[in-house]
Amino acid sequence: MERLVVAFVAELRKNGIRVSPSESLDAVQALALGGMEGRRLSRRLLRLTLVKNVNDIPVFNEIFNSFFSRFRPVDEELDLSRVLDAALISMEGEFTCLNEQCDDHEEPGPLLRLDSSIAPEDLQDLKSLHELDPDDTDGNEIVVQMKGYRGKAKAPRPTRRYTQNPLTIELNKSNAVDRGIVFSPEEQADMQQVVSLMMLRLRKDMRRMKNNQHRGKLHVIKTIQKNYRHDMVPFQLALRRKRREKPRLVVLCDVSFSVSHAARFLMLLLHTLQNQQLDVRSFIFNREVAEITDMLANMPVNDLMETIDTGDVVDLDENSSYGEMLVKFKERHLQNLRGRPAFIILGDARNNYGEANDWVLDEIREKARYMLWLTPEERDTWSRGDCLLDIYGSYCDKVEVVRTVEDLSLVVEDLLRDIYADRAHPIDRKRLEEAKAAEEYDSKDYYTRGAGGSGAPSFDPSGRSKW
Amino acid sequence: MISEQGVKDFLQTGGYIADDAIATAVFLALRMEKPILIEGPPGVGKTGLAKALSQALDFPLVRLQCYEGIDEGKALYDWEYGKQLLYTQLLRTQLDNYLSVSADLREAVERLSGEESLFFSKNFLVQRPILKSFLSEKRSLLLIDEIDRSDDEFEALLLECLSDFQISIPELGVIEAKRKPLTILTSNGTRMISDALRRRCLFLYIGYPEMEREVAIVRVKFPDLCEGLARQMVAFLRKVRELNLRKPPSVSETLDWAQVLSILQVKQLTPQVVANTVGTIAKHQSDLQKVAELAVKELS
Repeated sequence: MERLVVAFVAELRKNGIRVSPSESLDAVQALALGGMEGRRLSRRLLRLTLVKNVNDIPVFNEIFNSFFSRFRPVDEELDLSRVLDAALISMEGEFTCLNEQCDDHEEPGPLLRLDSSIAPEDLQDLKSLHELDPDDTDGNEIVVQMKGYRGKAKAPRPTRRYTQNPLTIELNKSNAVDRGIVFSPEEQADMQQVVSLMMLRLRKDMRRMKNNQHRGKLHVIKTIQKNYRHDMVPFQLALRRKRREKPRLVVLCDVSFSVSHAARFLMLLLHTLQNQQLDVRSFIFNREVAEITDMLANMPVNDLMETIDTGDVVDLDENSSYGEMLVKFKERHLQNLRGRPAFIILGDARNNYGEANDWVLDEIREKARYMLWLTPEERDTWSRGDCLLDIYGSYCDKVEVVRTVEDLSLVVEDLLRDIYADRAHPIDRKRLEEAKAAEEYDSKDYYTRGAGGSGAPSFDPSGRSKW
Repeated sequence: MISEQGVKDFLQTGGYIADDAIATAVFLALRMEKPILIEGPPGVGKTGLAKALSQALDFPLVRLQCYEGIDEGKALYDWEYGKQLLYTQLLRTQLDNYLSVSADLREAVERLSGEESLFFSKNFLVQRPILKSFLSEKRSLLLIDEIDRSDDEFEALLLECLSDFQISIPELGVIEAKRKPLTILTSNGTRMISDALRRRCLFLYIGYPEMEREVAIVRVKFPDLCEGLARQMVAFLRKVRELNLRKPPSVSETLDWAQVLSILQVKQLTPQVVANTVGTIAKHQSDLQKVAELAVKELS
């Protein structure tokens, strides 16, 4: 029986359900106590002891059905009676399986199961198919050359609105799905997951910090009230509370073709964050600059993306100009930014050889608590061509290269941590700094480290997570 | 000792209709002396199970309601500062006599520190729910309600209690449970509970009950309600649950409604009856409308 349980647990682990050794011990004990007669009972016992998460229950049921209905080859050494017993038990299993349609969690397993092992020839076939794939031929070389220039290499889209009649525009909207402009529900769910993981990590620090952050001066009356039963000896202190504000963020996002994917993910990320505990003001720019905070709050993300893509918010047909954008931003928006926000600017700083106007960044710097520049390009291309990142970067507290969604979420997480630490009580600040130093070698995802990163949500297989 | 069917039967005497999964979980928890972690939507009888169990097994119920900021002083034990102070005040003269024998200050401190355990003894320990259930002479039922409302730190605090049934008090050492209590934790899933805690528990998910079980529950609680009506209202509520409401009605709403109907002496459901009593099953303005519409569609 132990062997069976261990094999079953291995199967569960293979399918992503985490089962600890102590839980498998529990399962063995439970089976010994509850008895093994009947498939439903055994399944209940195993489910109670092995599955600790509601979301895992359907997976468990599926694995249970397939694992215990699979025909297993029997060794010759076994005597006939035991083989017959085993057969009888498995037959009984099948019968009860058919009888338990009324069970709430039951998905009837397939009546006929084909052997799932794939012959090596099949694999070979599959591989050769892959190699014939036109996209895959000498793909590596191109990728290397395009590194950092991926967006620019793409031909600019023709201005659809002028060249095509309304009917085809409608068609183009549906095409947009194929080009991956619209987020699928899975991607949004993944983003939710990335964010919730991040929030989970942050919250642990936040909550402890919140208690200290509220601390003000001694509240004499409350302290006396609280310590009445201690004969007014102040064992427990009551402190006045301080007003707490949400951390403010200002995001400037380049939405030109060169960095559009990164921009989208950043916006989606911030959109998800906004509901939780941030005060975000978002701007997008190409040559123009426009605020989209309200739109982010009120529109479904996909609709907003579409609106931006049609160029209704800022004109996308012009070349991006960071210099002009900065001046306009200063004129229109810089005055009414309150409360020392942290700035995030996302863009490749490719100015198309316009005026740099980097003095604006100096002014922004005066208003900002912190400035962070995110770029999808590697360090060695920062001064090449029309890229001005070396100049702009010198005004920022930090310039980060983000290439994947996980990068992005880590960077934003660090930023939030810094912002919180900045406002925190001195005791907490010290503790946080120590924790941060310790984190260098203590990985954040202890569980996923060994599993080859399978625990982190993979954003998409089609390579969009690499910009 | 007890079998699963036995569990089901004695739960029924406590007025709780259990399904197989619940019965198995209770049976295992009793035999393996492990806590059960129950998750599920609000109002499906998670806390009710604990109450019924304590009644049926005649275990005293010790309940710990969790909330944000709960700590060991509220859950495990606390020192009674006031009493300690009072005793030192009262014993002052005795202490003077006791210490006057000693020659110098050093000796006095030594004598006093020899008696230190006097003030950190069980006399001055306030038993909070978990310690209380551990020290109970009779096997008790410890209900840790809505664990998802507490903080991570508190969860970590529970780990020792739940796996070894012991509490470490620095001044007294380790206190072990006299009789391991039957422990039930409930959670509404508003927050993910850590894997460490899950691993120490049996996990039971209670969802909405099946038709037959829900009818049986209604019949047990309100025997004077006729079977036909019970069946009709449960069937209707099952449809309501599929409506995607903000707060779908659960078993507790079913029972409320059954009570309302039996007070009003309704014999059959009509759209009019539903419209009059809809407040008991739908708890949001937008939901009221949807339920009323469904009633017109289904019942007329």
